[in-house]
Amino acid sequence: MGEPFDISYVFSFLPKLLGTLNTTLLIVACSLLAGIIVGFLVALPRLYKVPVLKTCSEIYISFFRGTPILIQLFLFYYGLPEILKLVHVDMTRTPVLVFVILTYGLHTGAYMSEMIRASVMAVDKGQVEAAYATGMTGFQAFTRIVLPQALGIAIPVFSNLVIALLKDTSLAFTLGVMEMTGKAQTLGSLTQHFIETYIALALIYLVISYTIEKLLLVAEHRLLRHEKRSTPEKKSFRVHKNWSYRRIIAEMGSGKGGAG
Amino acid sequence: MKLDPSFIWTAFLQILSAIPTTLYITVVSVSVGFLIGICVALIRIYRVPVLYPLAVGYVTFIRGTPMLTHLLLIYFGLPVLIDGLAAHFGWGFRSVSVPMIGFAYISFSITAGAYMSEVVRSGLLAVDRGQLEAAHSIGMTTPQALRRIVFPQALAASLPNLSNSVIGMLHGSTLAFTVSVVDINAKAQIVASTNWKFFEAYLAAALIFWGLTFLIERLTSLIEKRINLYNRGGVA
Repeated sequence: MGEPFDISYVFSFLPKLLGTLNTTLLIVACSLLAGIIVGFLVALPRLYKVPVLKTCSEIYISFFRGTPILIQLFLFYYGLPEILKLVHVDMTRTPVLVFVILTYGLHTGAYMSEMIRASVMAVDKGQVEAAYATGMTGFQAFTRIVLPQALGIAIPVFSNLVIALLKDTSLAFTLGVMEMTGKAQTLGSLTQHFIETYIALALIYLVISYTIEKLLLVAEHRLLRHEKRSTPEKKSFRVHKNWSYRRIIAEMGSGKGGAG
Repeated sequence: MKLDPSFIWTAFLQILSAIPTTLYITVVSVSVGFLIGICVALIRIYRVPVLYPLAVGYVTFIRGTPMLTHLLLIYFGLPVLIDGLAAHFGWGFRSVSVPMIGFAYISFSITAGAYMSEVVRSGLLAVDRGQLEAAHSIGMTTPQALRRIVFPQALAASLPNLSNSVIGMLHGSTLAFTVSVVDINAKAQIVASTNWKFFEAYLAAALIFWGLTFLIERLTSLIEKRINLYNRGGVA
């Protein structure tokens, strides 16, 4: 089983793995963008209860949340070209990365739509009514009143989703994409120092997910600053209020449990 | 390659035989993970001196890195550790005798432990402190109060998260194919490559996972209804 453990390899592997970081981040960024767009499109029929589309989006969400991402990756990679061949579209020259981003985008989209739906619904209906009472139009009420509050509620879930997506990208190596995990496996089998490579890999993932979490925590504090109470005697109330937000988030159940 | 819808059914039947492996991995990792999770959560809630930073570090590390790296680290690291210890203490036990699925069990349990500890912790924190005080005031001892008052409420509060974690571990078990365990995903790969019908085989696998997830969700909602009986509204 390989060479004896040598900690110096961990440090020499770090820069080599960081060289493929941009592929990982490219997958994360593109699928996140696709996921948000898909998420909005899928959440709207459910929020406004559009008859047929609502059922379609429910099936979509159920499928992508009900099957492992790995199966979805294979399904799209092997299935999409075959289906498109029926309508005479040739996909044999499409780079693998496109399939990977497509799958991750659709996968994240399902979770995003749940997040969007839950956070919009978590905003008190009275807020909208109050906005109407002051003479705002529906669009104004949504963009000025509902959206800012919903964003604040959604951020913790969003942060979890981004981190889950980052960790899910480690599966792209199964289709031969040279992202960090794929690179790590190559390095491991080249040098026979498997443990050191995977320690280096784990460290990089840890640092990135920690950074993302901290960044989004700052964003959350900024978006929820209207929740702040300046008077000290209301301090306990503030904790309680913040806690209730956390409860809502916990009950939304749109987070990804485990895995990734 | 041509689409062959009838092969989906053939593949479906062949993949069915791999369901037990997937379920074993899920059940073992969730139950061992739950035990680890309770310990870690209690350490974090009561801030046990030395163990507290260790627990925090464990949870941060596991939640910040992909499940695949845990599996690979255990798969390559554990044999070195076992063999080193065996050589040092003169055991007859060698890492070769650990079955492949053993690595999956160990690694996924460690992964599940960190996620479960968060589930347990948020569940316990969701119960109002006054509940414990009220139980004390009517003369219950702390273990009694925990068992009769706090735990049932904590369980009810954490059930959705628990179900998410179980589904997460079910889906995560597909990674076991990297250490050559034949679970549903690996079986689908075998069926796909022997018949050269990838799409149909993975579609069948996806359907099986979808069904399993659906079952878990249904089961949870049943338990949730049962467990939330006390919470039916009324005066409060």
